Amino acid sequence: MGKPKAEVDVSNCLACGGCISVCPNDAISMCAGKAFVDKDKCISCAICIRTCPVGAIRGEDY
Amino acid sequence: MKYDIVIVGSGPAGTVTGRFAAESGAKVLIVERRSEIGVPVLCGEGISRKIDEWDMLEGDRWIAGRMDGARIFSPDGTMVVLSAEVAGNETGYVVYRDIFDQELAKKAVKSGVKIMMNTQALGLIKEDGKIKGIKVKNFDKEMDIQCDIVVGADGVESRVGKWAGIDTTLKPNDLETCCQYTLTNCDVKDSYCDFYLGSKKAPGGYIWVFPKGNNVANVGIGILASLSESALAKKLLDEFIENDRRFEKAEPIRFLAGAVPVARPIESVRDNLILVGDSARQVDPITGGGLTHCLEIGKIAGEVIGKALKEKDFSQEFLSEYETRWKEIIGKKLKRNYMVKEILHEMEDKTLNMLADSLKDYKFDELSTLSLIKALVLKHPTLLMKLKPLLKLSEL
Ligand SMILES: Cc1cc2nc3c(=O)[nH]c(=O)nc-3n(C[C@H](O)[C@H](O)[C@H](O)COP(=O)(O)OP(=O)(O)OC[C@H]3O[C@@H](n4cnc5c(N)ncnc54)[C@H](O)[C@@H]3O)c2cc1C
Ligand code: SF4
Ligand code: SF4
Repeated sequence: MGKPKAEVDVSNCLACGGCISVCPNDAISMCAGKAFVDKDKCISCAICIRTCPVGAIRGEDY
Repeated sequence: MKYDIVIVGSGPAGTVTGRFAAESGAKVLIVERRSEIGVPVLCGEGISRKIDEWDMLEGDRWIAGRMDGARIFSPDGTMVVLSAEVAGNETGYVVYRDIFDQELAKKAVKSGVKIMMNTQALGLIKEDGKIKGIKVKNFDKEMDIQCDIVVGADGVESRVGKWAGIDTTLKPNDLETCCQYTLTNCDVKDSYCDFYLGSKKAPGGYIWVFPKGNNVANVGIGILASLSESALAKKLLDEFIENDRRFEKAEPIRFLAGAVPVARPIESVRDNLILVGDSARQVDPITGGGLTHCLEIGKIAGEVIGKALKEKDFSQEFLSEYETRWKEIIGKKLKRNYMVKEILHEMEDKTLNMLADSLKDYKFDELSTLSLIKALVLKHPTLLMKLKPLLKLSEL
């Protein structure tokens, strides 16, 4: 099992775009009004997890 | 479908650019993925009186309150007042950002701009490496729109710049991660915007209280993403509100999360492409304010687009007049304030307390970050040595 990849809890995401603007590998985009992580692109750096002001992203084993 | 200009994003940067491009003869389309302009509001809603000079907003429905000044509180509570009495006049507004954005959109439409809602930009159309238009999805329908210039006014998360090869990714120390409550039934009576500093309260940022009249206030926090942990911004904001007597009986009527770029200015033009607003990082790195820049610079973008159409020249070289002009107006300020931001973030709380103490009776001649920096340099030439040459360079 690799390092945990980022996973957005869509019910908590408030679509601020912060995670998208700091992701170093462009793995996140806005999809139907919520942040969405492309797992193939996620390099498990956890920057987005720390950035989210409301804690809507966590690391998920993958 | 063919337009002269397609603008991605209907925020103030997009609508003001659109309006002035249309007024100089362009056929303009704005695509916006939301289903209502300005909603949800992602903003503290404070803006300086400077916007009066440009006269871009009709009526006063967008005004929630008029401000008499600002108060800055250091970590130990020492207060520095920048007031209208000293500055000579009302200093700014707290606005209803949804109405504000919609008023700007109305002006754009009056000038001939078309708007397509529920339409997400997906990528650029390129032929032989040249930008020829943009791919969008309107509800479920994907379509291609041809145009001569694509404008990225797509805010902090900007994709448009990246599609054209401009690196807009923000380093965690160049992003303020934010959240804000709009609270009702607050005990907030005067018309001052309050700012609270401190490494415990808001690491690398500040907490703000902006009154909106009738005991309603925006109470928000921004912290530097590099100092953030998951959900820390919300936790610190909740603690602040919990411990402030003004909010004892208050309840929220809105909660929002937000992100503000506090970065150095970046490149903003390519062949057939322009970035405006937050997407071009046209935000004051100290205050996080971006609204006035959107208005002032959006107008320039629109005018240069008009010229490009007349000359039928959409090259980066031709469009660079836009970049030269906006950097002339705010480039120095952004660079200077970026350096001040870095210095401020290195300061310990006790240094901030000491600085605030030395300014607590200071009479400011103007309410601006520049006048604050000038006062600090005057009082503490050694401490702020690094800033001095910068200040000379950028006397505005
Ligand atoms: C919490 C917070 C508080 C703030 N407080 C203040 C303040 O008090 N004063 C101040 O001056 N500034 C403040 N700012 C900054 C200010 O909000 C921004 O500078 C301003 O909104 C920038 O406007 P813009 O038009 O560039 O982008 P935005 O207003 O962000 O508009 C971008 C638009 O593009 C749309 N969009 C994005 N991607 C796509 C796509 N792919 N397809 C279609 N549409 C798309 C979005 O839906 C959005 O409508 C604050 C920001 C935040 C987050
Ligand atoms: S940072 Fe959090 S709230 Fe903001 S878009 Fe990302 S997941 Fe959503
Ligand atoms: S963990 Fe890193 S790479 Fe993965 S989505 Fe978050 S910021 Fe991007």
